[in-house]
Amino acid sequence: MVEKKRTTKEILQTKLADKKRTPLYHPDVLEKLRQEFERWRNTIVREEDRKNWHTTPRTILGSDIPREMLYTPLSNPAFDYMQDLGHSGQEPFTRGIHANMYRGKEFTMRQLTGYGGPEETNQRIKFMIAHGATGINALFDLPTIQMYDSDDPLSKGQVGMSGVTIDSVEDMELLFKDIPLDKVTISLVTHYPSNTAILFPMYLAMAERRGIPFDKLRGSVQNDITLEEVVRSGLEYIPPKDCFRIQCDNIEFIRQNVPLWNFVTYNGYNLREFGTSGVTEMAVALANAIGTVEEMLSRGHDVDWIGERLAFFWSPASDFFEEVARIRAVRRLWYKIMKYRFNTKSPRSLWMRCHVQTSGVSLMREEPLNNIIRAAYHALAAVLGGVQSLHVDSYDEAYSVPTEEAALLSLRTQQIIQAETGIIEVVDPLGGSFYIEALTNEIETRILDEVDEIEKMGGYVTAIDKGWLHKKIAEYFYNERNSIEKGLIKIVGYNIYKAPVDLPPINVFQYPEGVEKRQQARLARLREQRDHEEVSVALTALEDACKRGENVMPYTLRCARVCCTEGEMFKVFKKAFGLWKPPVLW
Amino acid sequence: MAGKIKVLLSKLGLDVHNRGLITVAKELRDAGMEVIYIGNSFPKEIIHTAIQEDVDVVGVSSLGGAHLTLGVDLIEEAKREGLKQRMAFIMGGVFPPADATKLKEIGFDETFMPGATREEIVSSIRRIVSDKADRSL
Repeated sequence: MVEKKRTTKEILQTKLADKKRTPLYHPDVLEKLRQEFERWRNTIVREEDRKNWHTTPRTILGSDIPREMLYTPLSNPAFDYMQDLGHSGQEPFTRGIHANMYRGKEFTMRQLTGYGGPEETNQRIKFMIAHGATGINALFDLPTIQMYDSDDPLSKGQVGMSGVTIDSVEDMELLFKDIPLDKVTISLVTHYPSNTAILFPMYLAMAERRGIPFDKLRGSVQNDITLEEVVRSGLEYIPPKDCFRIQCDNIEFIRQNVPLWNFVTYNGYNLREFGTSGVTEMAVALANAIGTVEEMLSRGHDVDWIGERLAFFWSPASDFFEEVARIRAVRRLWYKIMKYRFNTKSPRSLWMRCHVQTSGVSLMREEPLNNIIRAAYHALAAVLGGVQSLHVDSYDEAYSVPTEEAALLSLRTQQIIQAETGIIEVVDPLGGSFYIEALTNEIETRILDEVDEIEKMGGYVTAIDKGWLHKKIAEYFYNERNSIEKGLIKIVGYNIYKAPVDLPPINVFQYPEGVEKRQQARLARLREQRDHEEVSVALTALEDACKRGENVMPYTLRCARVCCTEGEMFKVFKKAFGLWKPPVLW
Repeated sequence: MAGKIKVLLSKLGLDVHNRGLITVAKELRDAGMEVIYIGNSFPKEIIHTAIQEDVDVVGVSSLGGAHLTLGVDLIEEAKREGLKQRMAFIMGGVFPPADATKLKEIGFDETFMPGATREEIVSSIRRIVSDKADRSL
């Protein structure tokens, strides 16, 4: 008889049941407190408040978690300081992955940058670095994200619009010209496994041309199946199982060859922004991470070999304390999963390291300056939650790509938090709050329950294939829209406190002109001058590797070196894997 | 006006952001319209489908900056096929306010930006469709 595979939740329940708990509160003290509490509730609290003791904050992207009117030790009676919190830099890492947190290393101020051709974005990157940005997040345009070349008829009119356009290694050279790649950490926002497999090798080939060894390169890619198969509208999709395989191929190759590079960033962000609660955002990312670790183990790798470099990407939205608690909760849960489910040995593997970007869909077109305040609260919640790096959205993003002024203001928001508020001096300043700890527990339970649901369905790839996630998202954002329209979710300047008069217009970024022509001309020259024989041999070798099940990245690297374009490599994937039709969303 | 309003909805070009358009698709369906959602498509194909399905409204969504370039192509294609008088053309998405004005100059009947309510979208579609029907009598 085949033993039924136990889920992560079942494994954690068994293993944690054996651990002896040492509650902080003595039972006698709790009992006395309970009596005092009841007396207070019955004599001082108004009847109306007694009846509505729990209320549920309704916010954009919220998780609808009911809250008590007042939190006390009774909200978390079994609280065990060492087991539930520990000190910072200590298991279970609830309080932060480093003992000294921001005293030791300030959060990285990593603003998204990308528009026009590589030349324009190169200038913007230099501008951000000159103003104190400590990391760069390079964002690609839609043809590059969707893997079509600038001269593809499908790319017409879209080259360099909402990100930078990249066709080949030559564009990568222009993009990072004069930027010290061994000093600044670079995050390449290669959303999908497929475009990671194609674009990251171009980055590597560029580094080779500049004589920078791979082991000096530091940064990250996203490389997440969720984005390729769920969170996008597109024309052509490869099947989920092949996409997941490429995700794992990328991880394997980068781990072996670019040791300081973060080879995956489980992207909860875009999923949540598309439409899920903060709980689902984290459950899905964890399910994907669990699936990846399992796959790597089945490929014969050691869990710590991969575990030490896994990273996550979250979207802090408007429910302030939920956001702080969520980051703490997922940090503890990830620790438990790595320790008890995967038996990791290295302390680093127990760390839930993360980048966050403040929520974009929470920003409004109406009274756009209000968005500055919203994003600052999102960022503050993230810092109080103990994140590693941060991007703050700009107030003008419901209009266009941010202007230089707006992008600078986003950076300044981070710098003000870091330099002026004093909050970075003390680690996990909200830790121990009755409210925060109870909420952290509640969120952790809810995330694990959703991970369990996914695993019982057959795992994450199956959950995508069956359309479970697609349906869940569509339902979520439709309900959210209804709640906003009904005024249940309140938005200042939109459905409450609407300005009686039109406010003066803001400056809006205008897309640069002439980028498409310039890019196409460069591409035409490249196609003419490169070695056609080498190109065709490299592309054929890639196709064979796809079909044979060999790791694709050595082959895409070879393609990148001989100036194959992004579109050419994606064509090979489509040919080798065939196309998949994603579930209908409505 | 007889019958259900028939609406064709498409993501314009390679744009990845479909949350808004899917929301609109559901809302129009709930408002009693017949909705054909074709996902990502390009001006020629969109017009081809619009003719084939004989729709009253063509709604496209763009959040990635291609609203003008592909918007111009779409309207030109529509004019070439003589559809501008009988079909309504609507653009929704993220674009600078000045571009919303340009889109109307090009020939779009209406534009919707973030913050547009269900009521605004449904009622203006009904109004535009009914105006076009009156004019073609």
